[in-house]
Amino acid sequence: MISVRIKKQFRGRAEGRSLAIGDATRDARRDGFALLAEFDAPPGVTILFGPSGSGKTTTIKSIAGIIRPDEGHISINGHTLFDSAQGINVPIRERGTGLVFQNLALFPHMTALGNVEFATSGLSRPERRRRALELMERLRIKHTAERRPSEVSGGEAQRVALARALASKPRVLLLDEPLSAIDEATKQDIIGDLKMINRDLRLPVIYVTHNRDEAVMLGDYLIVYEQGQVVAAGEPLEIFGAPVVGSVARLTGVENLFEGVVLQRDAGAGTMTVRIKDESGACELDVPLGKEAQGANVMVAVRSGDILLATEELRQTSARNILPGEITAIEERGARSIVRVKSGVSWVVSVTWQAVSELKLAQGQHIWLAIKTNSCYLIAD
Amino acid sequence: MRELCYLPEAMKNIDWFPLALSFRVALIATVLALIVGVALAWLLARRRFPGREMLDAVVTLPLVLPPTVLGYYLLMLLSRNSPVGRAIYTATGLQLVFTWQGAVIAAMIGALPLVVKTSRAAVESVNEQLEDAARTFGKSEWQIFWRITLPLSSRGIIAAAMLAFARALGDFGATLMIAGNIPGRTQTAAIAIYDATQSGHDDYALTLVIILSVIVLTLLYATNKLVGRTSLQ
Repeated sequence: MISVRIKKQFRGRAEGRSLAIGDATRDARRDGFALLAEFDAPPGVTILFGPSGSGKTTTIKSIAGIIRPDEGHISINGHTLFDSAQGINVPIRERGTGLVFQNLALFPHMTALGNVEFATSGLSRPERRRRALELMERLRIKHTAERRPSEVSGGEAQRVALARALASKPRVLLLDEPLSAIDEATKQDIIGDLKMINRDLRLPVIYVTHNRDEAVMLGDYLIVYEQGQVVAAGEPLEIFGAPVVGSVARLTGVENLFEGVVLQRDAGAGTMTVRIKDESGACELDVPLGKEAQGANVMVAVRSGDILLATEELRQTSARNILPGEITAIEERGARSIVRVKSGVSWVVSVTWQAVSELKLAQGQHIWLAIKTNSCYLIAD
Repeated sequence: MRELCYLPEAMKNIDWFPLALSFRVALIATVLALIVGVALAWLLARRRFPGREMLDAVVTLPLVLPPTVLGYYLLMLLSRNSPVGRAIYTATGLQLVFTWQGAVIAAMIGALPLVVKTSRAAVESVNEQLEDAARTFGKSEWQIFWRITLPLSSRGIIAAAMLAFARALGDFGATLMIAGNIPGRTQTAAIAIYDATQSGHDDYALTLVIILSVIVLTLLYATNKLVGRTSLQ
């Protein structure tokens, strides 16, 4: 269990806009930025999820001891690393955290093996080399042993950094957006490695990302950040599947989010009909029965992956909402395709690219949307 | 240019002592200036403490003070009448005033600002994140300095050493003040040149001038090449 309760205020500048052009944008953004993070991460892989600048990196750097919070408490398995009330601030080198920096921070003047070996300690020289090679073999990068960091691929460099962090026998592995610059296939590989590490070495992992696919594939527990605060915590599918806070819905990628008015309630069927609208139009939708009265304003969220597309009108289906519409755009996003459909309001639908080619979907085509009542979430904003 | 034709002739019965002494003094002064200077550079680049910029200013002083003023301070500080000079004498038996060892101190102090300025820039160019990474692996500050910071700033520090050597080779004012001008004992090349021109030994002066110029020019050229190359990071 990793327990974090920290507060950190980044000093604002006296003359609000006196930043020179050369100033790092990061510093500019931190102008008066405050972090207030509170969470308990269970063993397993914990994802710190949120947009850049929301305080995720500051949190893991605080755990590693590189950033000192203004006040609060940080402990790993009951072992206190920082406690402002008791005046405890364990030095970085005694914290036993394996941190993989966003830019990896590999030592450019050492070979890959040299990097990994450097992180080991307390053993004889041949022992250290053996341990380093063992870790590199496990992560399938033994062939890069004699190469410099500048001479290995992005995925290999990532694994060298991972092996190096593991070589120091950390109590927790901290990863700062490690896969943001890695291609999809390599990403899957490394995610597999991380799961293996977490399982075999029984090493808790804290993983910072703003990518929801990584979060879902890897995470046992999810903590959502927004503007320096934790706004939600729980199992990834739970949080992504049923976002109850509007900001979480936007952050976790619920693409269809509409304002609406309750037209009528059907307590017997457990549904109610909502008229939703956006800037392009309006339509009616059956949603689960909520506590809102007739005429009340509500927000409705539908995940893009929960909408079915049909080229002909569906007649025999359990889906309550069958909406006719027209495809306005198709965009490829890796393995998924995003189909934009105008049906009263503008919908975003996510399907596989195979579906696009098999259904011969094209811009301007007439199409039906099928949405289950239970795929519509009412949002408290 | 007529004098140049006599150069080979002049070099046969030349007194090599001042040049040899200059080299010995410059070499030892460079080593000492490097040890002290790199430590100071690391302190200035990597540690926040009150009086940091003041320390930087004091270290830079020898660069701008008249060499005689510097020599005067050293004379006051190191003479056997001063507590510091006495302490050094009782501890090591070294008499620094009017000895070649005194010339080493003078040359070292003169070279120190160059070492500190150049090395500080070199240390600051090393990405601090690399040092933080090493800290997370449980490495001590000492290990981090030797394994990470020093190797990654080595090019700048080698440049600093070459500048220091060039500077130490040519020190005149401070050396004259503290070590004096004793032929065969404390007379360095720079002082011998002054002596030779004063006493009309122009050929000898010219020989030393040319040798010193060529060495210093070569060192500066090599330094520029070294610093100009794209750094390792």
